[in-house]
Amino acid sequence: MNATDIQIAICGSAGDGTIAAGDILRNAVAAAGYRVICFDVYPPEIRGFGKCISRLRITTEQSYSLKRQSDVLVSLDDSHAIPHAGEVRDNGAVIFESQSIAQCGEGEHMSGHVLPGQIPYGFPLRELAQKATGGARSRNLVVLGYIAGLLGLAPTSFQRIIEKKFAKQGPAVVSRNQAGFQAGFDAGAGTFKLDDVAFGPFEKPASAGKVIMLSGNAAVVQGCLDAELDTFFGYPITPATTIMERLASELPKRGRRLLQTECEISAIAATIGAGFAGSRTATATSGPGLALMAEMLGLATITETPCVVFVSQRGGPSTGMPTKTEQSDLNAALYGSPGDAQRIVIAPTNVEGCYRCAGKAFEMAERYQTPVIVLLDLYLSNRYETVTLSESGSPFVLDANKPLRRLEPGEAYQRYALTPDGISPRAVPGDANCMHVITGLEHNELGRPNDSAEMHTAMSRKRHDKLLGALAHPDFTVTKRFGDTGKVKVGILAWGSTFGECLEAMFMAQAEGIRCAAMKVVMLSPFPEKAISAFMDDCDAVLVPEVNYEGQFAQLVQGVLARPVVRLSRVPSSPMPVELILGEIRRLSGVNA
Amino acid sequence: MSIPAMPVFVDVKLREVQESGRLEYRSRSLPTWCPGCGYFSIVEGVTHACNEMGISRDQSVVVSGIGCASRFPFFVNLYGFHTLHGRVLPVATGIKTANDRLTVIGIGGDGDGFAIGGGHISHAAKRNVDITYLLFDNGIYGLTKGQTSPLSAVGLRTTTTPFENPERPLNPLMMLLSYGASWVGQAYAGHPDHLREMITQAVAHRGFSYLHILSPCVTFDKTSKTYVNLGLQVRKLPENHDPSNLMAAMHQAQDMDHPALGLYYQQFRPTLGDTFEQVSAKAGGHNT
Ligand SMILES: Cc1ncc(C[n+]2csc(CCOP(=O)(O)OP(=O)(O)O)c2C)c(N)n1
Ligand code: SF4
Repeated sequence: MNATDIQIAICGSAGDGTIAAGDILRNAVAAAGYRVICFDVYPPEIRGFGKCISRLRITTEQSYSLKRQSDVLVSLDDSHAIPHAGEVRDNGAVIFESQSIAQCGEGEHMSGHVLPGQIPYGFPLRELAQKATGGARSRNLVVLGYIAGLLGLAPTSFQRIIEKKFAKQGPAVVSRNQAGFQAGFDAGAGTFKLDDVAFGPFEKPASAGKVIMLSGNAAVVQGCLDAELDTFFGYPITPATTIMERLASELPKRGRRLLQTECEISAIAATIGAGFAGSRTATATSGPGLALMAEMLGLATITETPCVVFVSQRGGPSTGMPTKTEQSDLNAALYGSPGDAQRIVIAPTNVEGCYRCAGKAFEMAERYQTPVIVLLDLYLSNRYETVTLSESGSPFVLDANKPLRRLEPGEAYQRYALTPDGISPRAVPGDANCMHVITGLEHNELGRPNDSAEMHTAMSRKRHDKLLGALAHPDFTVTKRFGDTGKVKVGILAWGSTFGECLEAMFMAQAEGIRCAAMKVVMLSPFPEKAISAFMDDCDAVLVPEVNYEGQFAQLVQGVLARPVVRLSRVPSSPMPVELILGEIRRLSGVNA
Repeated sequence: MSIPAMPVFVDVKLREVQESGRLEYRSRSLPTWCPGCGYFSIVEGVTHACNEMGISRDQSVVVSGIGCASRFPFFVNLYGFHTLHGRVLPVATGIKTANDRLTVIGIGGDGDGFAIGGGHISHAAKRNVDITYLLFDNGIYGLTKGQTSPLSAVGLRTTTTPFENPERPLNPLMMLLSYGASWVGQAYAGHPDHLREMITQAVAHRGFSYLHILSPCVTFDKTSKTYVNLGLQVRKLPENHDPSNLMAAMHQAQDMDHPALGLYYQQFRPTLGDTFEQVSAKAGGHNT
């Protein structure tokens, strides 16, 4: 059997247990050693009957994005699933309730919508659930068992995960769900096979570290914990909230502190206060919260106070679309503040990157005494991936927060001493004889207010130049090139969550014989001018795909380098489709052929 | 602002201060306030209190917002953070969260505290953050040159109320008492000895202490909160006032025409730092 690469979409109505089924499935296949990427879509309403879809791509090798076409569509509610029938590929399977409309009381039946070439698979979900559990509620578990059975996955790890997941709701719920799963499994086992995809025989790869399943936000939390985060302040906002929620249960166990503040302004204010007092500290928010934090971020810049802000973007402007993904807070992250608001902005491109960027952000913030914004988006925050974590302790530098230099006896302390690298000796309250006052007013080396032209120029230069160190620091991934080396027809320049789609598109284009390469830009500020410029030298055409309307990153590149790029920016309220990028690559390589 | 050469009279004054042992708490920066501004006696009060209590300068932070009042940290020799308009309390909360051992004093004007920063006071009080908040009430915006403030009296003419302020002022003491502040007091810049005593008590209190300080702005308010008017209006809290009686404190706070000076209310309850420890204990953690 060839390497596994199968995508399953489970679709239902809120309340059907769609997302729960996806959750169990991804954990079970991850435990079996497969690589998984999973992204759930659900409605903004808490209750009601909105549409839920859980899409999982399961592979033996690392993959980078979801596929546009699924191999299997599972319907838990035909009225929601019917519009998605078209997303199933030729020879793919559609699994649905086989009871008649009259019996199950729904308006339309999937059986009439399966397209020619797709394999319809009606299945008595309700009846099996009824028999096994005495009710139709566990239909999601029945269908899960059925999928596991027909794909030949072992039931034991599913049963273990079901037990863990429902333990809090009591043994009755656990056994009901386990019985549902088993009934589905028995019905499905061996009855059905997609002829060109299947699981195994598969040997769990011997991996370099511990492979676990994490969402982007959970990976941020893991990075924070491994970097020994001290204090956290936050205010709930989708899709960043789960960072605070997870930290709320983890930090106190370590004797560390988390405070839910009264608003984003107080969250960032407290973060900066804590940073000033020497704490390794962070906050997390989304676009509207970032807007409120703008003035405070300027204060962190001018006072040179380390602090980390995780921003998970959603659709905007304003309250926009809280449950839809977008990459449109780039400008706000780069520039939102009065004045020349120098700061570091980094953007991970996948879940593992969320982990690494989270930890590294603290190191950067403390080394360069500056705010660091880590720019995620909903597609990254909420998607799940299998991640390999090192098993040998924290991979992050944990002592970047130490005062950089001790005073010689009799030496006067200058908080903002102008040094060759722009980094001044940092003391924090509690350090003897280093008393100083920091202020949002422009100041001299002692920190005293000073608005002379010379001092403002010197301090602006210091704040700008010291950050350039981050571009050259060997520990920080600033940009990384993939694909063909040397001259290429098409180069893709991408940032954030869209990079995975770009990489998949690049692989497909390479397979078609198009010479192409992709550069992932992790550091967005300071702007890695040289690396990007060198990459562009190698490309006949440069494509910049991003999920926003204005092409914010493309504008940045064009503005800084004064070189043309081809924008592929759109706001589909969902990740950028790989096929769209591939189409552009084909078009550009044809034009230049 | 470079350090100016000291005029002679200041030198004499500084020598006096030095002899009293307080000089180590004063910075070499001259206050930039108008001569006669009530704020001078508040600096005096704070340095006195620090000296009396033997406050460690390395272990103390003064945090302020923006306004004439908020220039305060530059005039004392402690760690200081001059933050943004209205954000004294959340920054101070962050500092205390990071390091509970620090003595933290928050400072702001009436605009800073009750207009732009008004949303933060209730939360600092509710959490009982162990800081002292000194609110300098001159009933007007000083630094921006004389606009109306949420504590301006009805009828006050300011640059933004040229036809007289139509709005009733807030009652800050009532607000603080109802927010659950664990120490609430009032002082007057024109009574420096009492002011100094109140600052000492406020700093000594374990929990959120709020000291409302009436202080004339001699430049922009010639009619309302002047030395003459305030001198006639202020009174002492009754001898028999019981600071553990919240209702009695509220009763006293109602009278805004004759502001009573003294300790209105004091209560001992867990601070924010204590609650962090309780949460950690519940989580089975240990403090690091
Ligand atoms: C966000 C913001 N808005 C407005 C200002 C302008 N501003 C500076 S001080 C001040 C009011 C100061 O009044 P108050 O807090 O009563 O202090 P005082 O100067 O009277 O001591 C204002 C509106 C500012 N600095 N920042
Ligand atoms: S303007 Fe008013 S408050 Fe400001 S320093 Fe002068 S007198 Fe004091």
